[in-house]
Amino acid sequence: MRVSFAWLSEFIKTGLSVEKIAHMLTMSGLEVEALEAALNDVILEVNVTPNRADCLSVLGVVRELSVLTGEPVILPSSVIKSKEENEKDLLPEIKVEIRNAELCRRYSGRVIRNVKIGPSPEWMAKRLEDYGIRSINNIVDITNYVLVELGHPLHAFDLKTLKGGRIVVDTADNIYRKIKTLDGVERKLPENALVIADAEDPIALAGIMGGASTEVEESTTDIFLEAAWFEPVNIRKTAKALGLSSESSYRFERGADIEIIPFALDRASYLMQEYAGGVPHKAVDVFPGKKIPRAIEVNAQRVSKLLGTDIQKDEIIKILERLGFAPKWNDSLITVFPPSYRLDVEAEQDIVEEVARIYGYDKIPTILPVSRLSAREAPLRSNFIKDARQNIRRSGYNEAINFSFMNPQAFELLSLNDDDIRRSAVALINPLNQEESLLRTTLLPALIENQKHNLQRGLRNIRLAETARIFIKRNTGELPIEHLMLAGISMMNRTYSFWRNGTEDFYCAKGAVEALLDEFRIRDRSFGPCGEPFLHPGKSADVMVSGQRCGFVGVLSPTVREKAEIKGKEDITVFELNLDVIFAALPGIPVYRSIPRFPAVERDIALIVDESVNAAQVIRKIKEYPSELIENAVVFDLYKGEGIPAGKKSMAFNVRYRATGKTLTEEEVEQIHEGLIKDLLVHTGGSLR
Amino acid sequence: MGGEKAKNSSLREPFLNELSPVDSVAGLEELRVRYLGKKGLLTSELKSLGGLPPDERRAAGAVLNETKEFIEQALAQRKQELKDLELRRKLASESIDVTLPGSYVQPGRIHPLTQTLEEITDVFVSMGFSVEEGPEVELDYYNFEALNIPKEHPAREMQDTFYVSNDIVLRTHTSPVQIRVMQRKSPPLKFIAPGKVYRCDADISHTPMFHQIEGLMVGEDITFSHLKAVLESFLHRIFSPDVPVRFRPSYFPFTEPSAEVDIGCIFCKGTGCRTCKGSGWIEILGAGMVNPHVFEMVGYDPKKYSGFAFGMGIERIAMLKYSIDDIRLFYENDIRFLGQF
Ligand SMILES: [Zn+2]
Repeated sequence: MRVSFAWLSEFIKTGLSVEKIAHMLTMSGLEVEALEAALNDVILEVNVTPNRADCLSVLGVVRELSVLTGEPVILPSSVIKSKEENEKDLLPEIKVEIRNAELCRRYSGRVIRNVKIGPSPEWMAKRLEDYGIRSINNIVDITNYVLVELGHPLHAFDLKTLKGGRIVVDTADNIYRKIKTLDGVERKLPENALVIADAEDPIALAGIMGGASTEVEESTTDIFLEAAWFEPVNIRKTAKALGLSSESSYRFERGADIEIIPFALDRASYLMQEYAGGVPHKAVDVFPGKKIPRAIEVNAQRVSKLLGTDIQKDEIIKILERLGFAPKWNDSLITVFPPSYRLDVEAEQDIVEEVARIYGYDKIPTILPVSRLSAREAPLRSNFIKDARQNIRRSGYNEAINFSFMNPQAFELLSLNDDDIRRSAVALINPLNQEESLLRTTLLPALIENQKHNLQRGLRNIRLAETARIFIKRNTGELPIEHLMLAGISMMNRTYSFWRNGTEDFYCAKGAVEALLDEFRIRDRSFGPCGEPFLHPGKSADVMVSGQRCGFVGVLSPTVREKAEIKGKEDITVFELNLDVIFAALPGIPVYRSIPRFPAVERDIALIVDESVNAAQVIRKIKEYPSELIENAVVFDLYKGEGIPAGKKSMAFNVRYRATGKTLTEEEVEQIHEGLIKDLLVHTGGSLR
Repeated sequence: MGGEKAKNSSLREPFLNELSPVDSVAGLEELRVRYLGKKGLLTSELKSLGGLPPDERRAAGAVLNETKEFIEQALAQRKQELKDLELRRKLASESIDVTLPGSYVQPGRIHPLTQTLEEITDVFVSMGFSVEEGPEVELDYYNFEALNIPKEHPAREMQDTFYVSNDIVLRTHTSPVQIRVMQRKSPPLKFIAPGKVYRCDADISHTPMFHQIEGLMVGEDITFSHLKAVLESFLHRIFSPDVPVRFRPSYFPFTEPSAEVDIGCIFCKGTGCRTCKGSGWIEILGAGMVNPHVFEMVGYDPKKYSGFAFGMGIERIAMLKYSIDDIRLFYENDIRFLGQF
């Protein structure tokens, strides 16, 4: 809220500079975000928190300054000349009927005759404009002026358009269906919207906006000026339903001061008398919702205990008195009666806060808590996530972070089947745009987009990985399932380096996945056939961990590349792993197995087999061979080309033999090895090279 | 006698003359054969000693043996020299350009937001806080109502919310984790909850998704001065031990008293600049004493327990820490940006 320093200074004489005042306000909870120079004035940009509706005016800020400095508030003039002179003659003329006293606890107003519509005085227009309200005419400006000055919204109706000399305050129902508001929009009244009506039609959306039919115009000579109190939640609901917000609704929905109504009405009447030549009639004041001031109890010891300071009872009482809370006390129990404008003060903690902020947060000591030592839970999961990130980083991937949103077109981009679980995406009711209207079910589309972004900027050798949650929709009303995923994308330029590493890109990506699983000592893993529609069918694998599908790794299919419009001849490899599956599969503390005491003997086998035979199959066969002496087997060479018949390939394996209790002899090894070779030839249909 | 000696010594002279140009082990062997071989110069002289009278023979023999030893030593020494030289030559011929780049997998970098988040987490973990998580898609109840923000509360306007349904939202802050943990565990409690949060807001200084860290400490005698001390030592660890910290009153529905915590502007040292909008202070986090209504919601006795909560935006801290001037850079994932941290 923008507050004029000159205006403020009319209501309190502090003798302090505007900078000093800004600092005092900031340190007591009314943050002054900026000071802005204006003509013969300085504007304070005050950030009023939603609980402090009482500060949404010049008076509100002045009251706050009065608490802080002890200087009194000087109220502006509201003397109505006609009041005593002609009270009998100038009857109220308007009969007010409140049909819902819960939603309208007070309704006041008066007729003001003989107003001359014209421009406002220059100073008034300037103050309104400095605040941010456009000057319209003297009558409308005065209602706005009082709104800014005292914080209470007022409304002026053109008296001649008011039918039947009646004001009815009621909720919208079958009788009141529509209203054309001041902004010229015809609006359907939402259910339970509070309206002001005359004898026939709704003439205003209570507390939000006046109606067009009763608008004050050039030709207006008599007005009916309204000052009322409307219930905050109702105003808020109606304003929200209509998507309509005004200076008036902003204050009513935060809570207006019911007791200031007569003064606000008189103040505006006074200004209309002075600056529009109006003759105010006797006011009408219907007040069915009068409440006795509420008492709140607070224990002085509890205040100092909660704040951790030894603030004394006397000082607490002094602060409460300055706040106008009228404290009474009995021992350490203090009872307060907050003023009508402090609707936010309801309970003991509110009093504690009031005392603390006026006392000064800076005066509260800083004391580190003494906490009993306890072996708290190790942050296992957050350490695991951290380790996963670090590991994938060491495989060359930069960490990316994308928004959790997904474009519905991603399903098409990835050619996902109709029954693919990743089509069960959570949709937002109010997305920022169509491209960000779903929550991600896979991290791939964003990474593909990142890859494109970098390529378009002429960058090469891009490896990106992201650790983030995906969201799979469940039944309506249920929260979606959230899984933590780790996905990567890589596109490396082969001619970049002095060395030409002959390794297929697929194996680089697979290597990153294997390094990750190694990091966590996950031995129970395998790579099997993969049916992901967006991957190259011959260069992709499902990643299995502890018998569960954990994700995939592979080369992005040419179709996806084409759809994504990614150029270049290098393979793009991707992987996406479910970290929740890996976390669940983490092995416990390793159990030590003794280091072998006897030497191993190694033998190599080179087989020529059909291209369809894969290394994992051969190794499985070796390990299944019925001999306890086979300790391990690895593939160490793959060859196709000259010397090997078409459709065949040569693979070389190294087999390690070891006995636990003795040194194996050459003869023993030879015997088993020959048996193993025969077995392999039978099972693979291959031949020795 | 003198004549004999001179004759023997004269073998040394030609030997040394022949030795000096030899530049290979093979040449050296040739030279050895020429002098010490079966038919070598020195060998034949030794053989010829037999013709001398015993007295002379002894003297001449001693001289010859001395010469033989001398030659053997000289040959051995030279052989070692030549071997060293040859090794040096061989090594020199194997030279490579050591300025060419080494072969390794160039490590990627961790995103600056993650680094900042982990750094903050580590500070609190070192102070004995544990780490908790909660769902990013959250019930309205946890995100708002249990935090003392009922429907139609003006504070909801502080946070533009993405809705999935009437009762399900993308969490607008990490505060719902407070409720979930308090429902699950009894006090005393001391934890932080880092994570992603969402607000439907996108402009030059806002992104619809960003990161927060929430913290909560609950016990029997937790006070506002504890809150001040914990957050002050945290800020001193993250920024610098002498950065000024100030607490000023603010408002959050789930804490009371509430505070906004500022640090002295790290760019202008308090004199006023663009980053701090001339105030000399930078808002860094929000905090407060847990509102008793919140304790009631989770079944804690507000008469018995008190506590403080705090929350901070990670983007803002990372921007200050690395002097990043545009929040959107965090989410473009340009490798020229990511590679810098
Ligand atoms: Zn600064």
